[in-house]
Amino acid sequence: MRSVIVRKAIKLVSSALIMSGILFSYVATGTEKEVATLRDTTKIAEQKEPNIIPKVINKDIRQGRNYPMQPPVIPHTIRSYEVNQYNNKCMSCHSRQLTEESQAPMVSVTHYMNRDGNFLAEISPRRYFCNQCHVPQLDAKPLVGNTFIDMHSLMKQKTSQDNQE
Amino acid sequence: MPSNTVAQVVKKPKEYHVASFVAQAITSQLSDVEQAITASKGSEIHAVTPEGKIVFTLEASTQQAIGKLIDKLKYHTGMLSLAPVYHQYLNENNEDN
Amino acid sequence: MTINRREFIKANAIAAAAVVAGISVPASASNLITSSELTKLKWDKAPCRFCGTGCGVNVGVMDGKIVATHGDIKSPVNKGLNCVKGYFLSKILYGKDRLTTPLLRMTNGEYNKNGDFTPVSWEKAFDVMEEKAKTTLKEKGPTAVGMFGSGQWTVQEGYAAVKLMKAGFRTNNIDPNARHCMASAVGGFMRTFGIDEPMGCYDDIEATDAMVLWGSNMAEMHPILWTRVTDRRLSAPHVKVALLSTFEHRSFDLADNGMIFTPQTDLAILNFIAHYIISTGRVNQDFVKKHTNFRLGETDIGYGLRPEHPLEQKAKNNGKTAGGSVPIKFEEYAKFVSTYTVEYASKLSGVPESNLIALAELYADPKTKVISFWTMGFNQHTRGVWANNLVYNIHLLTGKISTPGNSPFSLTGQPSACGTAREVGTFSHRLPADLVVANPKHRAIAEKIWQLPEGTVPSERGYHAVEQNRKLKDGELNFYWVQCNNNMQAAANTMEEALPGYRNPNNFIVVSDPYPTVTAQAADLILPTAMWVEKEGVYGNAERRTQAWHQMVEAPKGAKSDLWQLVEFSKRFKVEEVWPEELIAKQASVRGKSLFEILYKNDSVGKFSLDEVSDDQLNDEAREFGFYIQKGLFEEYAAFGRGHGHDLAPYDMYHEERGLRWPVVNGKETLWRYKEGSDPYAKKGSGWDFYGKPDGRAVIFALPYEPAAEEPDEEYDLWLSTGRVLEHWHSGSMTQRVPELYKAMPDALVYMHPDDAKARNMRRGDLVKLISRRGEVQTRVETRGRNKPPVGLVFMPWFDASRLVNKVTFDATDPLSKQTDYKKCAIKIVKV
Repeated sequence: MRSVIVRKAIKLVSSALIMSGILFSYVATGTEKEVATLRDTTKIAEQKEPNIIPKVINKDIRQGRNYPMQPPVIPHTIRSYEVNQYNNKCMSCHSRQLTEESQAPMVSVTHYMNRDGNFLAEISPRRYFCNQCHVPQLDAKPLVGNTFIDMHSLMKQKTSQDNQE
Repeated sequence: MPSNTVAQVVKKPKEYHVASFVAQAITSQLSDVEQAITASKGSEIHAVTPEGKIVFTLEASTQQAIGKLIDKLKYHTGMLSLAPVYHQYLNENNEDN
Repeated sequence: MTINRREFIKANAIAAAAVVAGISVPASASNLITSSELTKLKWDKAPCRFCGTGCGVNVGVMDGKIVATHGDIKSPVNKGLNCVKGYFLSKILYGKDRLTTPLLRMTNGEYNKNGDFTPVSWEKAFDVMEEKAKTTLKEKGPTAVGMFGSGQWTVQEGYAAVKLMKAGFRTNNIDPNARHCMASAVGGFMRTFGIDEPMGCYDDIEATDAMVLWGSNMAEMHPILWTRVTDRRLSAPHVKVALLSTFEHRSFDLADNGMIFTPQTDLAILNFIAHYIISTGRVNQDFVKKHTNFRLGETDIGYGLRPEHPLEQKAKNNGKTAGGSVPIKFEEYAKFVSTYTVEYASKLSGVPESNLIALAELYADPKTKVISFWTMGFNQHTRGVWANNLVYNIHLLTGKISTPGNSPFSLTGQPSACGTAREVGTFSHRLPADLVVANPKHRAIAEKIWQLPEGTVPSERGYHAVEQNRKLKDGELNFYWVQCNNNMQAAANTMEEALPGYRNPNNFIVVSDPYPTVTAQAADLILPTAMWVEKEGVYGNAERRTQAWHQMVEAPKGAKSDLWQLVEFSKRFKVEEVWPEELIAKQASVRGKSLFEILYKNDSVGKFSLDEVSDDQLNDEAREFGFYIQKGLFEEYAAFGRGHGHDLAPYDMYHEERGLRWPVVNGKETLWRYKEGSDPYAKKGSGWDFYGKPDGRAVIFALPYEPAAEEPDEEYDLWLSTGRVLEHWHSGSMTQRVPELYKAMPDALVYMHPDDAKARNMRRGDLVKLISRRGEVQTRVETRGRNKPPVGLVFMPWFDASRLVNKVTFDATDPLSKQTDYKKCAIKIVKV
């Protein structure tokens, strides 16, 4: 699938960059006075024009998880999907009974467990408000990169380094 | 809006699932519970304590299979509690060899 | 390769389960693991870096990097759950712009306040700091140096800072950013109970029949506690949730009785409930007679503004009398609250009478156990201390306190506002364990524990947070060190006070932070700082649970922890340079010594040797200073509270347990304070013993509704409320650098009612300017977001470094707590 290949390519390039040691210790962005990177080097007393509100990424392409316990991000819009004491819209596709029909990924087994570790027939109330852990993604480019490396990439680095010795 | 992305993949994903659990058995029924676990396909017990704690893993090729195995186990009368700890899977389709 | 990866994740699965089961990794699994160097993954526990809930997490480290975290199943707080921020903890250390060298503003190789930030060595950085501090002390004395610290400092860092400032430099100008979040709660506790912090604990949630959220958006701000509330509410059909707020938000999704009220009128609603309890004959007479006193509080106390402000000129009791009160009888109290009829409360607040009565019933009905939850709605309030007092009133009138499920629970915002800022006393008027600098007996206790001469600790209170910015602007505070906060973004009224204060040419501003924040940008010297599990530390959460963690990874080369910075800097000062001769003469043994030797490397803080740190355990500070400094600081600090109701367990115990709730007496934690049987300090036969007060009685205060400092008028026709969102912690300096959290909510928008937008010819997405009497900020309109304000009010969060909402907010405070009211000021919005 095309997007998978593109993602893999990006992953290879970024891990190559990291392996070759391009990690900035101090990122000189613009003038050396305005160092607040999240402000895009603007003086405090001033303000750059705020971006338009980005759109929600709605492509339904599952994003890789950084590590096992990470709750997956929501790859589609959730506009007007209500979760309240009367109704949980998310479960209308993601519950165990309905995934065959919806083809949406099922909530993991951990969601059926109560506080004391016992299994319940229905989703546990402590997991009821999905949005406390699962968030959609807007189409916005992060202002600052992140050098987190997941454990598989770290392992791969080590194996290829070992192989080179 | 769940679109059917599965249909666009060339072949069905080959997956390897592993989940680990900590079970607490009633001590008098400990060996029964152990047997029930080992009877499940893909299970492996790694540790048992005298107080009845059992650390075991389940391996399967789909998440649903893991879920089914748990359903079978949790109804065992000797099982006081069954806590899933860790669940990960590998998509082994696109892996480099 | 495929087989190796299967083995690897299987080994992880086994190891993780073994940790949870509390057993060592079984031989079969360890064969899998040690068969390959690849799979060395080390797990250890820590409290979450974010909010005051204090969830436990397990952190997975491979090759010196954090590669995973998950919620700690064994932690009683969260039992395996995190919120979305907690699930991304492993990424917060890895923003690409992590600082690794001190940066000093220089021109032509010399320090220059208008120069460019230039990398310098730590040596040079401390040289400049030393020179600036000594010059300031010499020319203007200790009142001209100051520090702004944090409820996100570890306990040890807060304690080291308190010693350095109050005993070393002998100034009380140290205040924490917790002044912005919990000061009113502290004021409320001290006035009503005489001792700080909640008497109940999170266990109350599973035991209660009703929960009332007063201005708290728990669903977003204390999400894991919300899961416990949700669990209770959805598992037990009789349980009710009531919710009061000035705008509709996510917590309303669970509310049975959701109420929108006009800002500030919470005071009237609270008094109405008291009146309702009394007039329907449901006062717990026995409890009230045995355990309470009534007092009438001083009123018309002003708004904490500069003295020349017209509001302060008008106020009758804004001076030292502001916190005063006189004793009254129950009948006088009943008469006082009787003017708060349901009609009056409904008219003033806009909440329908039937909702108010349903709310009041939850308190009045003796059979209903009830928890009140509140955070910033009550605390960031110009009458915040009053609001805290008033909510205690309705629990005291009914005796619904200190028993499972009956709990007025003040929620804490920051991860260690309790553990560090409040308990260690990093405030301008405080010392550890609720002691205050104004009390000579308390100063003597500190001097004794610190082994310092009488008169070391200054008796005049120092500058609090808002005052620090004003004194910076006025040029009276000249050497200023900011650690572990982002106050240029967080403090109200940026353009009139904070920014001119930092940029005043007479001032030298040092900012310690892992990242280049807005505050760093306003500084003269930036120090690269270590974060979270890059150092050993202790935090204390909202339910008095003290939790410890070990250092798990190294900080990036060049970054140093706040603790290291404080202690290393102390080496630069000989006692003769900071103390007058008369003081030194009282204790000749200090002559010639540095502050490092007097405050840290002594037989108290320096008591525990490096041998107590195991060889395979990271601990940079202990190894650099040559002794187990974190344990020494903790144990000396604990001496303040042990035996005085603030008992902490021995340090090592906190590394074993998932935290313990103080007072910990004989190894046993306390769940409900003041209650005989549960609290070891409650006297036998008392039933309830409010031992913070000399007569063991809590105080029910008669206090009125008073209006906000600034209300909408014809020109500035909208209320502005500010606050947080789920995805970002505080100023976003950590979470905005995590791609998934950034992309979940990249920008701070202004949430408006569609009718308000329409009336101003605006649509969703339009570029607008928020304008107040103090400044302006631009952003975009949101009319269909998670926050649905009523007509006449808008909400904008403050996590966005490029949209600084505090340029428009008002630095009016509660005059008693000195805490800023971030929830109320008047603005207008225009299209750009």
